[in-house]
Amino acid sequence: MKVKEQTVKTIMYVFGFLIAVAALFPLVWMVIAGFKAKNEVLVTPFRFFPEKWLFSNYSSILSDPMFLKSMGVTFMGAVLFAALSLIINSMAAYVFARLEFRFKRTLWVFVICTMFIPGMAILLTSFIVVTEMKMLDTLAVLVFPGVASAGHMFFIRQFYLNIPMALEEAALIDGANRWKIFTSIFFPMSYPVFVIVGIGSYLGFWNSFVWPTMTITNPDLFQIMQFLNTFRSERSTEMGMLMAGSTLAAIPTIILFLIFQKYIIKGIKISGLK
Amino acid sequence: MKKKNARPDNVTAYTMLIPIVVLLTIFVIIPFVYALIVSFYDWSFYQESRFVGWQNYVNVLNDPLFGKAVVTGLKFALLVVPAQMILAFLFAHVIRSMGKKLSGFVKTAIYIPTIISGIIASIIFVFIFDYNAGLANVILNLFGVENQAWLADVKTALASIALPAIWLGFGITSLIMLAGLLDIPDSYYEAADLEGAGSWSKMIYITIPLLKNVVLFLLITGFTGAIQQFELPLVMTGGGPLNETTTPNLYIFNHFRNDVLVGHSIASALLLFIVLGSISAIIFKVLNSEKAVDG
Repeated sequence: MKVKEQTVKTIMYVFGFLIAVAALFPLVWMVIAGFKAKNEVLVTPFRFFPEKWLFSNYSSILSDPMFLKSMGVTFMGAVLFAALSLIINSMAAYVFARLEFRFKRTLWVFVICTMFIPGMAILLTSFIVVTEMKMLDTLAVLVFPGVASAGHMFFIRQFYLNIPMALEEAALIDGANRWKIFTSIFFPMSYPVFVIVGIGSYLGFWNSFVWPTMTITNPDLFQIMQFLNTFRSERSTEMGMLMAGSTLAAIPTIILFLIFQKYIIKGIKISGLK
Repeated sequence: MKKKNARPDNVTAYTMLIPIVVLLTIFVIIPFVYALIVSFYDWSFYQESRFVGWQNYVNVLNDPLFGKAVVTGLKFALLVVPAQMILAFLFAHVIRSMGKKLSGFVKTAIYIPTIISGIIASIIFVFIFDYNAGLANVILNLFGVENQAWLADVKTALASIALPAIWLGFGITSLIMLAGLLDIPDSYYEAADLEGAGSWSKMIYITIPLLKNVVLFLLITGFTGAIQQFELPLVMTGGGPLNETTTPNLYIFNHFRNDVLVGHSIASALLLFIVLGSISAIIFKVLNSEKAVDG
């Protein structure tokens, strides 16, 4: 019995190790391919490591002004997007979690309904709407259409419902208004849920591709995924540079994740299913 | 439940709701209503529109490529979801049995692909499936099999796109499954041990029934996510060969880009919406019926 258990355990560990390696392998390969000469990325016979480690791919993509601009613009947009998403959605979450007012039910249904409308169903008409509003080729067209999110609002509300009422009752008796209670009690306590929603929003913005390709034609505003895809089709022989660029484009998100992973992985537990 | 507050906070509530309501109205509700209307018109950017009733819907339903796209979407979901679930189920068990340090590393490792964009995944996997020197063929050669044109062959193209999809989604699926596993009280297993139950019967009689909700949730979200996938085929194959990788959303997107008859694409998008919208409504129902989350 003991021996069998030991074997099962060993098999499990090997399996786990293999899966972890398989999960990281494509990314590690990408990072390393960034150090290869352009005709060495796809070479027969297969070689994992470069014959000679070149830094030129990374340095030349880093000195490409379009790449840097695109990273900068996307970063700015993503930070703005995440911040607005937290403010707008948490205010609504607070209102629905705590306040009583006329038409609460109607407004709740109105907001929640938007969760069931898939992006593709409104992709084209949204495009027409933003065109009519003269928003094409601005940062606003990337930020505003997706920033209000019933899903994020719902997630934050679930968190607020669990904050004990006692905390705010004292403040209410002291005559603090609702707005004050929101900013001084709820906002500071929202850290764990804000990390999850904020990073989710940031990632959604950083990784978005289809909407930017439809609405942004000015190269100065190119989003990073748009840049990479354009690079891929226009300079298809520069494989090493493409890998270097992809690596650099993935790094900010990976760093962000590593910093906050404790909260993110914990957040999976509070995402509302048992 | 006691009344939270005697005086209604109408003004504060409305002020704080203005941003979300206004933004959702402009960027979701108006486009949606607009889409509903356009779907009944013969409408294009270049000419007067004309009311055509259900004609657009009839056209879509009669378009063999739409039917094919739906079947492709279903096949794709069948390739991705079961594989992802089984791997995640096994792997969640593996992580649970690991020591704290090791499991921390492994969790991080498998989560990282989840945050990678579809574009970067496509770029990497197009290289992996390269005919002459891609890793996929290198591995095949080790077993003495000839090179395959993974993305260009109708037999392998869809499966080749399913692989990056599994890669992107597998980490989060495992971690949600793990969270479900950890929620099962240890005492159940201890009781089973006292009864002399083996690990197999523990799995059948304890783990699987108690994971039911989590599995259901993952099945539904995995299914709706997979059937809506279109970034991967858009970049990796453009929907080819012979429309073999044209998922429903890619079908719609390609019509948006290439068709002057907007009504047709919008009608197909709405038809798909009916199916997906009802599935999401079910998810929400399941989730919202649960008591409040644990903090």
